[in-house]
Amino acid sequence: MTDADISKPRRRMSPRQKRYWTSLGLAGVIGGIVGGWMVADQGNAPQSVATLFSGALTPGFAVGASAAWTIGLAICMIIYHRAIDDHEEHAWLWASTAGWYAFIFPAPVWWVLHRAGMAPPADAMILFVFSLVVNCIVYLWLKFR
Amino acid sequence: MASPAGGTMNNKLKVLRAMRNWSQAELADRLDVSRQAVNAIETGKYDPSLPLAFKLARLFEMPIEDIFDDGHEGSDND
Repeated sequence: MTDADISKPRRRMSPRQKRYWTSLGLAGVIGGIVGGWMVADQGNAPQSVATLFSGALTPGFAVGASAAWTIGLAICMIIYHRAIDDHEEHAWLWASTAGWYAFIFPAPVWWVLHRAGMAPPADAMILFVFSLVVNCIVYLWLKFR
Repeated sequence: MASPAGGTMNNKLKVLRAMRNWSQAELADRLDVSRQAVNAIETGKYDPSLPLAFKLARLFEMPIEDIFDDGHEGSDND
């Protein structure tokens, strides 16, 4: 953005805003495809929340979903980080820090408690979801408070 | 590093924006940032980066120190 550009308002979406919404839209589409595919992949299994999150998956879905997650997330994040403004970057960085703490505090505790026979084996997805929830809460607080 | 909670400086952004009859969204468009960013700066919840502070100074045609106040008197000589 040049100095001349900031002297006049723009009514259309700026390139930055386009990149921003493209990254979020792309992430939503990838998430929707993977989620729908996962439900379809377990079409023959008894339908319940428990089986949806812990039932057996086919190798084809596992490979495809892993690739979609890894490649799709990388592409979305590259576009996203090139699009966000100062304020959102600030929110993102602190939310990421909080999410990281939400992982490094409980993970070793759970692991040693399991080694001592005091807890079930550490569940990576529970730790992932907990970290993600903390990340989201901090991000939303800093972005929209 | 700044705290996550937000800014530590006072600023005149709300007054300068009101003098031009701009909404937060209009100012955000001119700066190419989100409306939430403008609101957070105005309410002192977030201090802008140096590049954004310079962009604000150019937009309002004022020195940065006339827009932002870190609470230190004679800060030029500090």
